[in-house]
Amino acid sequence: MGTGDYLALAAGAGNTIAISLLAIAIGTPLGLGLALIRWGRVRGLDGVVATLVSLLRATPAVTLVLLVYFALPTVGLEVPRFAAGVATLTLGSMAYNCEIWRAALLAFPRDQLDAACAFGMPRGLRFSLVVLPQIARAALPALVNEMTLLIKVSPAVAVIGVTEATRAAVRIGATTYNPIPPFLVALAIYVVVIGFFVATQRMLERRHRAGLFA
Amino acid sequence: MAALSLTRRGVLLGAAAALATTGVAKALTLAEIKKRGYMTVATEDDYQPFEFTKDGKPTGYDQELLEMFKKSAGFEVRQDIIPWTGILPGVTTGKYDAAVTAILVTQERMKTLDFCSPVVESIDYYLKRKGDKKIRGIKDLNGLSLGVEAGSAMLKMLPQLDDMLKATGGKLGKIVSYQGYPEAYQDLALGRIDFVVNTRLSLESIAKSKPDTFEIGEPVSKPTYIAWAVVKGNSELLATLNAFLLGTRKDGSMYALQKKWFDTTFEHMPEAPTADV
Repeated sequence: MGTGDYLALAAGAGNTIAISLLAIAIGTPLGLGLALIRWGRVRGLDGVVATLVSLLRATPAVTLVLLVYFALPTVGLEVPRFAAGVATLTLGSMAYNCEIWRAALLAFPRDQLDAACAFGMPRGLRFSLVVLPQIARAALPALVNEMTLLIKVSPAVAVIGVTEATRAAVRIGATTYNPIPPFLVALAIYVVVIGFFVATQRMLERRHRAGLFA
Repeated sequence: MAALSLTRRGVLLGAAAALATTGVAKALTLAEIKKRGYMTVATEDDYQPFEFTKDGKPTGYDQELLEMFKKSAGFEVRQDIIPWTGILPGVTTGKYDAAVTAILVTQERMKTLDFCSPVVESIDYYLKRKGDKKIRGIKDLNGLSLGVEAGSAMLKMLPQLDDMLKATGGKLGKIVSYQGYPEAYQDLALGRIDFVVNTRLSLESIAKSKPDTFEIGEPVSKPTYIAWAVVKGNSELLATLNAFLLGTRKDGSMYALQKKWFDTTFEHMPEAPTADV
């Protein structure tokens, strides 16, 4: 492997990180939104969300990204490939995160809400001061778990030409006929990126225990 | 060149096939391309020596041909580099006007694509152990065990060899399918099988690198062709690409590129590709 190969892998790593972070940053709150719709049994939307989540969870990322990139232009929607990649991973992340948030919401003790109501706390405050801090804490391990899965699914977007770390490694292996060194480098990239998420989770959990994280 | 495989395109991925059949073709005609000001083509990123990436830049036989076309086209040619899986659906859904990649021409693909004038010809040959006196010609292959790659186009071509053998009163022997050709060559060298069927280019390359072990035999199939493609019915664009491709045959520039990338030339290809598989 030459310098050019390492540069190509670094560029691929950049794409992996950018796409994954964007999808996580958009997908996690969207998942919470969907979970709240289901938790609150919003009439009309509840069933739609349940169906959407089931459909998205049943769709492989590769199929979804091909659909977004190649099928949308046939109805006049031209999506740039980077955006198509982010959108695909975001949709998946949103669906899984919806279920994670929903589980945390279902486990939330109702009597706390009743108490807040008794004090006349408005709905917005009840959510932001009572519910969110507690479900965030409860959902954190599962959310981070889902983030690491998303990073490992991200090579799926290579199919529409977004060259992320794995594709960069495949390209190098295809010219040198020695795929092991580029794959080892790619693996190291994933370990570092996922390690960052896990370390952040540990840090947050330590802060909860110390009572610093509201 | 050792791992050169011309015909891995035996298999269409499920997702790609599903999209290709549901997509509504809206590829632009030549007039529409000129009006829009540019044409879009898809090329591959890991198919040495046709198109691959070296230090992040596209190169290869098709890439060099494409660069010549870009110069002569008279309109801008925008290139998208994507893996094989996305190429055919991209063309059939109209995302790309042409697939400038090494596609094996098959009857199945001819239903949804119009193929350009071929850029490479591929014929299957057999490879035997050096000095194996059992095999002096095609008819001696009767009943002998052979190695071939599982799921490959070469496997699908074997009935043609069976027909040849039947003509001399023989038949195909045991077929051993391998995950990859390197294992088949090893088993041939060890005497576990008697011959291996693969494309001429691949076998020439292996026979050249191991001249004391292997020896190339004769053709065991009709030729197949590798060509670029546009969506079915886009005949003006097809004609434009063909005019360019046939021009590079006439002035010899295509043969020079073949010499450079394949170390051989294909000077007797028909103007339009045919498909027996």
